[in-house]
Amino acid sequence: MSPVEVLLLLALAAFFAGLGGSYLGIGGGVFLVPFMTLVLAVDIKRAIATSLIGVIATSSGAASVYVRDHLTNLRLAMFLEVATTIGAITGALVALLVPAVFLYVTFGAVVLYAAATMVRVRETAKERSYRGGEEEPPLVKRLSLNSVYFDQEDQAVYRYRVDRPGAGFGVSAAAGLFSGLLGVGGGFIKVPAMNILMRVPMKAAVATSNFMIGVTAAASAFIYYSQGLVDPSLAAMVIIGVFTGTNLGTRLLVRAKAANVRFVFAIFLAALGIAMAARALGFSGVV
Amino acid sequence: MIAARAGIRLVQDRIAALRRAVVGEVEDTNRLIYHVLRGGVLVSVAVLLFGFILVGAKSAALPDHSVPPRSLIPQLVQFTPAGFLSLGVLVLIATPMVRVLLSLLSFAEDGDRTYVLMTGIVLVNLLISVFLLA
Repeated sequence: MSPVEVLLLLALAAFFAGLGGSYLGIGGGVFLVPFMTLVLAVDIKRAIATSLIGVIATSSGAASVYVRDHLTNLRLAMFLEVATTIGAITGALVALLVPAVFLYVTFGAVVLYAAATMVRVRETAKERSYRGGEEEPPLVKRLSLNSVYFDQEDQAVYRYRVDRPGAGFGVSAAAGLFSGLLGVGGGFIKVPAMNILMRVPMKAAVATSNFMIGVTAAASAFIYYSQGLVDPSLAAMVIIGVFTGTNLGTRLLVRAKAANVRFVFAIFLAALGIAMAARALGFSGVV
Repeated sequence: MIAARAGIRLVQDRIAALRRAVVGEVEDTNRLIYHVLRGGVLVSVAVLLFGFILVGAKSAALPDHSVPPRSLIPQLVQFTPAGFLSLGVLVLIATPMVRVLLSLLSFAEDGDRTYVLMTGIVLVNLLISVFLLA
């Protein structure tokens, strides 16, 4: 492939990463890293660095719209970002030290795990709305994490409470670690964690995850940049492609039905998990 | 028929009012964050497109190595494609960082100590990432 062909293909992939990423509350890195390493033959650490840049673009583009539309829980995001940024820095430092084969295998395993978690559960936005009567966790009260969001689909305001802040914090640290290590947004860990563990409604979880992903990726992106791992031409095409894709993706989410969002998410992760497993098996000869 | 329509209208008004009430409190911060994130991406894309125009105009090769922040300004003065493409990437990386800084100021304005502390930790983490290996 000529360098120009590589760039155009990458821009196209980034467009779909931005589209899917913003729609599903993930950074799109789960598409971009395999695409760059396998199709475009980019070195995996450079692919991770470039993907992180794409993740920031997805997050900033999509998150801005969700924040404006009051889907994002800004306090919850701030609280969990403490964990994700620490995780992300650690992850990036680990990635710089370990051999490439470790990154391939971890990538496969993490995504498979995420697919399995997501397929198991089915819950809709309304079931996750406010339940009164129970005692609030003290930390939730102290941080006033409970919130409301406006659902365009139902034309209704949903009040919800947040559960298990400690567990959510721990999972977020892990999500940040994988983000910095593998160049993904970590949304596929954070969205289920917020929805299932912390009982945040799906749409608010997607929006909040998307919001956090940008800061998380920024915390590791510069570490890769300072090591000369960011290829500015590749990164530029990714940003431009993602920018176009997120503009479309966010329009889709605001109108989407919660059950559909969840369904697309589960199908997508399952397919990805299978693909990654197949690749992980073939990799021992390649790397 | 008319009564039904009026009823629906009443419900819609109620929802709109409720939405305004919810939205009113947080409108300023949310708007600001929206503009920062959106603006950062737009500036980044504009700078990158200019970088690609320079590649074409100078018939230069596509750069495959980013410019270290230290030597960025000389590169920009000379209008090198690598300089502008790197700048675009750096603007994008800086965008969420600026957002966190604004969140910090907004929490400080509200006198919300707990969240000033938390946002401060996030900001310190981001600064660590910038200076750790630079």
